[in-house]
Amino acid sequence: MSEWILQYLYLPQDLSSHGHELDSLTGWVHLLMLILFVGWGAFYLLTVFKFNKKRNPSADYKGVKTHVSSYLEITVAVIEAVLLVGFSIPLWADVVDNIPEETAKDVVPIRIIAEQFAWNIHYAGPDGKFGRTAPELVDLSNGNPVGIDKNDPNAADDVTTVNQLNVPMNKQILVKLTSKDVIHSFFLPVMRVKQDAIPGSEFPLKFTAVSKGDNDGKYEIACAQLCGLGHYRMRGYYNIMTQEEFDAWMGEQQELLKAAGEDDGW
Amino acid sequence: MNKSFLKPLCALTLSAMLIACGSDKKETASAPAAKTDAKTEVAKAASGPATGTSSVTGTIKFEGDIPKLGAVNMDADPVCKSKHSGAVASEVLVLGEGNLMANIMVSIKSGLPSAEYDTPSEAAVLDQKGCVYVPHILGVMAGQEVKILNSDGTLHNIHTQSKENKAFNVAMPAARTEMTKKFKKVEDSFKVKCDVHPWMGGWIRVFEHPFFDVTEKDGQFSIKNLPAGTYEIEAWHEKLGSQTASVTVGDGEAKAVDFTFKKS
Amino acid sequence: MDASVKEKSSHDDHSHHEEAFIWKYVFSIDHKVIGIQYGVTALLFLFFGFTLMMLMRWQLAYPGEAIPVISGLFSETTMPDGIMLPEFYNSLGAMHGTIMVFLAVVPLVVGAFGNYLVPLQVGAIDMAFPKLNMASYWVYFVGGIVMLVGFWMPGGAANSGWTSYPPLSNIATTGQTVWLLGMVFLITSSLLGSMNIIVTIVQLRAEGLTWMKLPFFTWAQLVTSFLLLLAFPPLEAAGVLQLMDRLTGSSFFMPSGLVVSGEVLDIAGGGSPLLWQHLFWFLAHPEVYVLILPALGIIAEVIANNTRKPLWGYKSMVYATIFLGFISFTVWAHHMFLTGMGTAINAFFQTTTMIISIPSVIILTALMISLWGGSIRFNSAMLFACAFLPMFGIGGLTGLPLGLTASDIHLHDTYYVIGHFHYVVAPGTIFAIFAGIYYWYPKVTGRAMNEMLGKIHFWLSLIFINGIFFPMFIQGLAGVSRRLYDGGASYAHAQDYLYLNEFMSISAWLLALAQIPFIINFFISWKSGQKAGDNHWDATTLEWSATTSPPLGHGNFEVVPTVYRGPYEYSVPGKDKDFTPQNEA
Repeated sequence: MSEWILQYLYLPQDLSSHGHELDSLTGWVHLLMLILFVGWGAFYLLTVFKFNKKRNPSADYKGVKTHVSSYLEITVAVIEAVLLVGFSIPLWADVVDNIPEETAKDVVPIRIIAEQFAWNIHYAGPDGKFGRTAPELVDLSNGNPVGIDKNDPNAADDVTTVNQLNVPMNKQILVKLTSKDVIHSFFLPVMRVKQDAIPGSEFPLKFTAVSKGDNDGKYEIACAQLCGLGHYRMRGYYNIMTQEEFDAWMGEQQELLKAAGEDDGW
Repeated sequence: MNKSFLKPLCALTLSAMLIACGSDKKETASAPAAKTDAKTEVAKAASGPATGTSSVTGTIKFEGDIPKLGAVNMDADPVCKSKHSGAVASEVLVLGEGNLMANIMVSIKSGLPSAEYDTPSEAAVLDQKGCVYVPHILGVMAGQEVKILNSDGTLHNIHTQSKENKAFNVAMPAARTEMTKKFKKVEDSFKVKCDVHPWMGGWIRVFEHPFFDVTEKDGQFSIKNLPAGTYEIEAWHEKLGSQTASVTVGDGEAKAVDFTFKKS
Repeated sequence: MDASVKEKSSHDDHSHHEEAFIWKYVFSIDHKVIGIQYGVTALLFLFFGFTLMMLMRWQLAYPGEAIPVISGLFSETTMPDGIMLPEFYNSLGAMHGTIMVFLAVVPLVVGAFGNYLVPLQVGAIDMAFPKLNMASYWVYFVGGIVMLVGFWMPGGAANSGWTSYPPLSNIATTGQTVWLLGMVFLITSSLLGSMNIIVTIVQLRAEGLTWMKLPFFTWAQLVTSFLLLLAFPPLEAAGVLQLMDRLTGSSFFMPSGLVVSGEVLDIAGGGSPLLWQHLFWFLAHPEVYVLILPALGIIAEVIANNTRKPLWGYKSMVYATIFLGFISFTVWAHHMFLTGMGTAINAFFQTTTMIISIPSVIILTALMISLWGGSIRFNSAMLFACAFLPMFGIGGLTGLPLGLTASDIHLHDTYYVIGHFHYVVAPGTIFAIFAGIYYWYPKVTGRAMNEMLGKIHFWLSLIFINGIFFPMFIQGLAGVSRRLYDGGASYAHAQDYLYLNEFMSISAWLLALAQIPFIINFFISWKSGQKAGDNHWDATTLEWSATTSPPLGHGNFEVVPTVYRGPYEYSVPGKDKDFTPQNEA
């Protein structure tokens, strides 16, 4: 049933491992809404048709004498309880709150630092460790948008990009999300992922891309929280790659890093 | 650099002469002295000659090891990337043949007679083109109009980090191709940024006089129409800071002052 | 008679007359005059807030295109050559929200309807504190002016959303400071007003008017006033804290290490941006019920009167309302599901959110069942009331997927949310306001509004308002974020749904045209509408036992009423007429 209604819900394609469960909850809720609305609507239309002044010149003091409505209210409450306890709460615990260790196998940790009006992506590189960052080291014009401390040995293989989030397929991506300036919201429609990026705090979120989808892996990051005059254009690019493509890209970046190794940090 | 057109300029009272002007720098780089105006003429005559026939020219050169600069990565916005065929070089250090330096702002720091200079009637131009600022370094006179263009057909926002002048942060969506601003107060170089494209950075300096120039890749500057006198000349680079030199010019005299920058 | 006296006195003693006019109509302490003042001011703000939205809808339908005809009215910093700038769009958005909530709808349902009707419905001669009542209006008025002044600030009016989340609002232009000052006035006004209503209802009820004989409207006002009284102080505190952050360099809402536009911000730091959200939503969620409960009150009155039968389940409606009031203080963080909540806290807030839907369902169901068995008169007031039920139903139902966190992940901060709360307040509360205006207009002016114009107004409004808000659900499900200056045109995933923007915009402009019959009706009927008696609708509640306006001034009733029966004794078996007023022995 929830599958049936999902085709009418205009949701974007879902390419994540967890999205289907969220979507099916969305489907069930909309089905409940539809049933309630149609049920109430039918009663309502019948009532206003049947009891207008012409058809029913004198009103009935008592009106409805049964307690059907109480049963209806209890039914609604029970269904809501089921959706809540059976689906929503466990789903949240599993999808949002169950965060893997950064160092766990098959987890790709990525830091994302939002700013007005761009997404800075920070990869730990082959060593899997992020270099130290500090706000005073931020230099936008010279390729250090996240303020990486280049003296930190862990930073040597760290890769940063702006607005280009490349992820390998079928690997769990662990994003550590924060912001430099104001509150943004990291939204990947095709991944059913959305999380506010709040300055001063770092929040983890995870997702796994299972397919490149209809658009060959080329999708977008949207900002979902008003962040200033450029909010509408705070668009990033989300590229789902095969593991080989991702490794090739990462290798390329490492080459570039070496070439830029003598960059005087101007 | 190639000088592609000549631009007539009026010099106050003394002469009307034609001076050459760089094509990309627009007219402000070697700004016109002032427009002719009967009233100011009288005023200026009373306070002594504010402009003259002297000039200072020179060449800026870079010495020593050339620092390595990474290319600007425009992956963040495909619109920007599509405006360039290859890698986009950093504008922090731009060298011409023989390590001659572009993007050096040369100006008279002190020694000018106290006089008010008319602001040029023509606007200075700052273009956003290919997601970089053209010119990278812009000198304007206080009160002069600055025409800000958006030639990219994408959103830019002009965010000035000025302290004396009121800082502004204004969006120029694709549909807004032109706007005009004025800087009313004299101010040292301050940064201009675009928050949509983090690599975009330019500099603006606001002068009280028209005696300034910004070098091209030929490293040449030329400050004309100076009255005779002894001046302190300043050459400024965004990373390497300022250097000064003293020069004395007599009427009609042209002197050369060269500067050399080095990364310490 | 009245006019001749006025004329005579103006000849005799000009200054005395001026003073009398001022005290009678401007600085009046009569709750009825203050109610009308609130109503007229708030209707003007409602119109203004709607105008802001119509401007935004141009930009959403035709992003970047110059606005035709009126482009000359706007300055270089808002709409150069008629092309709207993002800053101005954001200002319009923030001010539309602020004006609609704090300057239009709340003042209408509480300030206007509450002020005018509560003392009449409880049989009191006035509010408990008439001068406080006057102060409440004038503080509101000043707050409104201050809000409007924001538009002339450098950088324009507040542009960080009506929610004003810091750090964005802390680093915003001067308009935000003015917004905060305005809010302090508006909150103060609401606090004064709500205290007054509470004391009036508790202390000044007519003899015999026991709690379960109170009209449902008054019950709704009582609960609403408690919400205002208890929920607004945290926001007032938050507003003052944000003012201090902006003006004195404190960092209540500013964490350390902020880098704005590549520069490290020179502030003390150590504050929390989320603190503001908690304080704001601690008010703003109960505020949602401030917008809805009085509207339900109005609808209940109109339905009972026009079905000619008692409300079905009156007591359960009252209990549900009280329960709703309490629970509304425990759901605020469902506006913040995506701020990094863990499962436990998240489970709590979505559970309370589901729980609060139950009393809403009870009230709505009771209102709908009340129609059954009635002898329904479909006049303009009743049409709006009837339309309210399904419209509010859509608003409520679409709250479900937003209230369940798992389905909220995708829908949060999309147009789905916009559609959801607009169904609650626009075809919900504002339709209730229209119903109330049509219903009580004869009481206030002594003349009824024209039914023909009223019905035209209703049908056109119903069609176009759905044309605006329904497509928002589609866009929201597709993942189009809210508050986008170009309506999503930048995003690939929004491309298939952009055509809806134009449809919604045209619906909005047509909705504006649909208000013309109402505006004409409103003014024409004032002087030349059909004359109405004291009890034009054959109603039962006490306000209809008072003399019709122009009123008796301070005093309300010729005979202080005594109450003998419940509020909705319509079609009582065995009675000759189909209504038995509360004060009929």
